[in-house]
Amino acid sequence: MPLTELLTLFLLLAGAGFFLAGTVGLLRFPDVYTRLHALTKADNVGLGLVVAGLVLQAESWAAMGKLLLIWLLVLLASASVAHLVARTALRKGIRPWKR
Amino acid sequence: MGPGRFCFRTVLFALLWWILTEGAMTSWLIGVPVVVFAVLASGVLLPGTSWSLPGILRFVPFFLWHSLRGGVDVAGRALHPRLPISPGLLKHRWRLPTGLPRVFMANTVSLLPGTLSAELSEEFLHVHVLDQSGAFESELTLIETRVARMFGLKLAADGVSE
Amino acid sequence: MSMQVLYSAIALFLLLTLIAGLWRVLSGPTPADRMLAAQLFGTTAVASLLLLAQAFGRPHLRDVALVFALLSAVTAVAFVRRTWTAWKDDDAAD
Repeated sequence: MPLTELLTLFLLLAGAGFFLAGTVGLLRFPDVYTRLHALTKADNVGLGLVVAGLVLQAESWAAMGKLLLIWLLVLLASASVAHLVARTALRKGIRPWKR
Repeated sequence: MGPGRFCFRTVLFALLWWILTEGAMTSWLIGVPVVVFAVLASGVLLPGTSWSLPGILRFVPFFLWHSLRGGVDVAGRALHPRLPISPGLLKHRWRLPTGLPRVFMANTVSLLPGTLSAELSEEFLHVHVLDQSGAFESELTLIETRVARMFGLKLAADGVSE
Repeated sequence: MSMQVLYSAIALFLLLTLIAGLWRVLSGPTPADRMLAAQLFGTTAVASLLLLAQAFGRPHLRDVALVFALLSAVTAVAFVRRTWTAWKDDDAAD
């Protein structure tokens, strides 16, 4: 197996791991704020690794650019959404969970 | 909008169009007017922001590395059988000027795993952290410095977070 | 193992995590929790589509992923601005 394919394999498996952790976090974390942490992490790191793995196999520069663009768009969206949800939750008086 | 900024944005939007259409030559029939319109619209919506290219280039590896490091930490906590988290809210006193730099920092904080921007007030950035035992004050100060560099800003040295 | 199998297998795995995430949509408890799960589905779907685009050599699926990314952002913002802030009574649960 060529080196780039091996690297892709590694990046995709790592990305899938982060998606799994994101879902597990979403199910296990105790309140809306902590679940937001799980969500933004899966978006950022999980998709980032999957995109990085696919970029190595992209057939053209434009395709590579499109993959990165999709990642950037998702990042921008998830940052805005996380902030909006957290702010709204705070303003509605939902208390953060404490140990 | 000065000529330098105009050229930069034209190149940027043209690049974006090229990516979206994956280099299809015939698409420029529509692409050229779209790019012109996008440049003009961006001139109205975002008339003046100064960026520092070296600052941006140094921000990218910083962001990637901290995402990965924080991501591993949060993923480990989510998968750990005893769920070792102790969330809390903390306040960080702004050193950045209002406007785009603050919004950019708030978004960066939200994306880096383990921290989440909850509220932007006049004086403070309110941050929800997944685990209070982390060294988040120095982390936030570091992010702020990096963001300031991207915008070509100098920060006051007396920035203290609470 | 060919790369095509790898892409498909990971896409399938992501879809399985998505099914697990459905539990959060069902159990809530606040509308925001349900929305978060839906948001995670958006990202997972984007990743799956990109993998499938590569696996089956269908570059157009990347455009579908792009639209997915844009739509999930719009959905969530619309939810926070319109729906969740309008409901006053159903968030006492948390």
